[in-house]
Amino acid sequence: MSLFLHYLSLPYLLEGIELTLEVTALGLGGGLILGLILAGMQLSRFWVLAAIARAYTVIFRGTPLILQMVFAYDALPHIGIKLPAVLAAGLALACNEAPFIAETLRAGVFGVDRGQVSAGQALGMTPRVLMWRVIAPQAIRTMIPAFGNEAVSALKNSSLASVIAVQELTLRSTQLASSTFDFFSIFFASGLLYLVLTTAISGIQLFIEWLLDLDRAKGRKRSFADYLPWRRVELATSIADAPACQAEPAQALAAEPLRTLSREARAKRAATIARNNVAVEVTDLAKSYNGQKVLDGLNLTVRVGEVIALLGPSGSGKSTLLRCINHLENWEAGAVRVGGRRLGLNEDGKVLSPRAIANERATVGVGMVFQQFNLFAHLTAKENVAGPLRWVHGMTRIDADRRANELLDRVGLSHRADALPRHLSGGQQQRVAIARALAPNPSVLLLDEPTSALDPELVNEVLEVIRRLAIDDGLTMIISTHQVRFADEVADRVAFLSGGAILEEGPAHEVLTNPRHPLTARFLSVMETDKVPEAVR
Amino acid sequence: MERRDLPEARRGFSRASFPGRRAALGAALAVGVLAPLSAQAAAPAACTALQEKYPDWKGKTLVNAINPHTPGYETIDPKDPSKYIGFDIDLGEAIGECLGFKLTYKPVTFAALLTTLAAGQADIVISDIYATKERAKAADFITYSKVYDGVLVAKGNPKGINGINISMCGAAAAENTGYVEVPLIQALAAECKKAGKPEPTIQLYDNNANCIQAILAGRADTYVNDVNTVDSAVKAYPDKLEKAIAVTIPYSVGIAVPKDKPKFRDAVLAALIEVQKAGTHMELLKKHGLDVNNFKEPDILTAD
Repeated sequence: MSLFLHYLSLPYLLEGIELTLEVTALGLGGGLILGLILAGMQLSRFWVLAAIARAYTVIFRGTPLILQMVFAYDALPHIGIKLPAVLAAGLALACNEAPFIAETLRAGVFGVDRGQVSAGQALGMTPRVLMWRVIAPQAIRTMIPAFGNEAVSALKNSSLASVIAVQELTLRSTQLASSTFDFFSIFFASGLLYLVLTTAISGIQLFIEWLLDLDRAKGRKRSFADYLPWRRVELATSIADAPACQAEPAQALAAEPLRTLSREARAKRAATIARNNVAVEVTDLAKSYNGQKVLDGLNLTVRVGEVIALLGPSGSGKSTLLRCINHLENWEAGAVRVGGRRLGLNEDGKVLSPRAIANERATVGVGMVFQQFNLFAHLTAKENVAGPLRWVHGMTRIDADRRANELLDRVGLSHRADALPRHLSGGQQQRVAIARALAPNPSVLLLDEPTSALDPELVNEVLEVIRRLAIDDGLTMIISTHQVRFADEVADRVAFLSGGAILEEGPAHEVLTNPRHPLTARFLSVMETDKVPEAVR
Repeated sequence: MERRDLPEARRGFSRASFPGRRAALGAALAVGVLAPLSAQAAAPAACTALQEKYPDWKGKTLVNAINPHTPGYETIDPKDPSKYIGFDIDLGEAIGECLGFKLTYKPVTFAALLTTLAAGQADIVISDIYATKERAKAADFITYSKVYDGVLVAKGNPKGINGINISMCGAAAAENTGYVEVPLIQALAAECKKAGKPEPTIQLYDNNANCIQAILAGRADTYVNDVNTVDSAVKAYPDKLEKAIAVTIPYSVGIAVPKDKPKFRDAVLAALIEVQKAGTHMELLKKHGLDVNNFKEPDILTAD
């Protein structure tokens, strides 16, 4: 025991820690830089870069670190690169860590919901902004435990530097054991020193997890102590669920009397719209996934101020059509014009770079609301609206916040401005998503089954918001929906899609009450939950 | 980066590396305090002549790659682990003093000694390494010591091992990776087969301490290595280990230098001759408790 304590406090061993940490730091720091490059290459659109990164990963993940150390130390000098031992060890460790870190990074990026990426693209974010503002902040949070692992493993792996004469802890321990024969006291002491170091890393990991905890950042009560392993706090949910039940202020979305237009009003509105400019023009649009036709020569014209409801069974091409209008998808034939411009194509009809498309989306102004809301999960309701205004449209923080508050007020959610999406009900989330889509004043708003993912009792609050946009604001909207009655109330025109083409279209009330095509009639009768639209008053 | 561990090592060996003028003062002090060591200094006149003949290394600091796991020859000093001690260390410093260079140390595994030298990461290897024709393909050797091996076994020699012969059939031998004893034991396989006995097995370790631990843990039955190493292991664990027998091995211990530096090889040879003439070599053997019969006049061993 006294020998153990003697070796535990021996300056010779303690000084070895310094070199152990140096090699570890070089390995982790270098590995992170190299890992970022590798992950970037693998995620890149250019297959050559991805292939090179893959090959690197196969080689450096597939060969033992000890060989890489010896290579860096003994082979590189033969080609004129004679690194000091610590640098050689750091280089080998960095090269070895890089593929592991790159895979962690890739997993983190893939772990971010694709819907949020679509939402960011629809808001006009360039790939860089999307990565920096949406993907990275969420990916980093999920990657911290994996990085903790890598740090601990790098620290332990640094002991392999002993084979190339780096005087780190392990090498010092073995030399000491050889000269004193106190084999076990020395290795227990050195083991304990390693344990202290790795425990410190675990502590740092927990601290960073706590630091980046969104619930902590929003001023909720979560202390660092909750992260200690013996505390059984459900970090993911316990606090998260509580505020969602908070009662909504009564005045938030007062149910105003239903404002279905009379027959005369409808006719007048239709006449006005008919004189308006064309907002969206789709001609002969064709697209297929894996040889299966999703859009088959589809034509559609939408005028400024017009509200179109797309009806049709699942798989009829409604969502794809909306995504093509925003150029979130490419297509094979046909053209889409928004405000007279071919979004995402240059004058010769060539597809622009993702960055150029993003900038065009931002200028043309096509807003989009998704079935799954796709709010940015790490941002509060207010930031979801204000953030894109700053990052895409260059607004100042003050202006963006003012606009966000105004819009949240309009959708009746100013009292939930500081809540994270996961603390909001589905209906609330969709209302925030609508506010976010409206924030940059889009010329057209695309809504992709905005109420399909909602519980029945939450559907109306969302429909009410959309109804107001249509009737009060005169916003041009294309809505795919299964809510037949809602379509009748809000839409000027209904288009019935089947097999990637429009089978029937016409004034909403007319198509819905007297469908001419048998498929339309059958579809409408199947929509039992939503009874036959009531007669126009 | 490496600088960090070097000053410590240098501090430890400052005794042998006073720069020119202060050496006289150092020697004068040493006479009083460390009388037995005074014989260490080689004849100054001869060394001065050598430094004139081979001026390239005068005032330089060279790197000596060692496998510091051989008590008596090279280990760290248990009292001050920042220093290396042992016969090879002192001999190297005496040669360096004669030629006017200082040494710093690079500890590597035994198998990596010659690779490190070949990669240019070290200038010289003085680490109880046996000079063989095979190894001479990687480096030139200046031999300086005869080899007597000891056969280390557990107390009482339960397997009755009495040398590198058929008494080892079926036994597990612990050896260091790259040691010359490995092929000698492997060669027993045919003999054992002829005698209808199982072959000996070999467990390869990284250093002496691990080989000795293998016997203590009952994993290995024997460990054949330099007799002095075996003796010091027995001294450390008198209740658990014993030396079965000492055997002669047909090799010499050598100082390894890069193949592409024949001038350096010749300089080291000349300096070693002076160190032996001055009686330093013999003094050092006694100082470290080694058998004086190890003493050998130097030779050169090269591949061709």
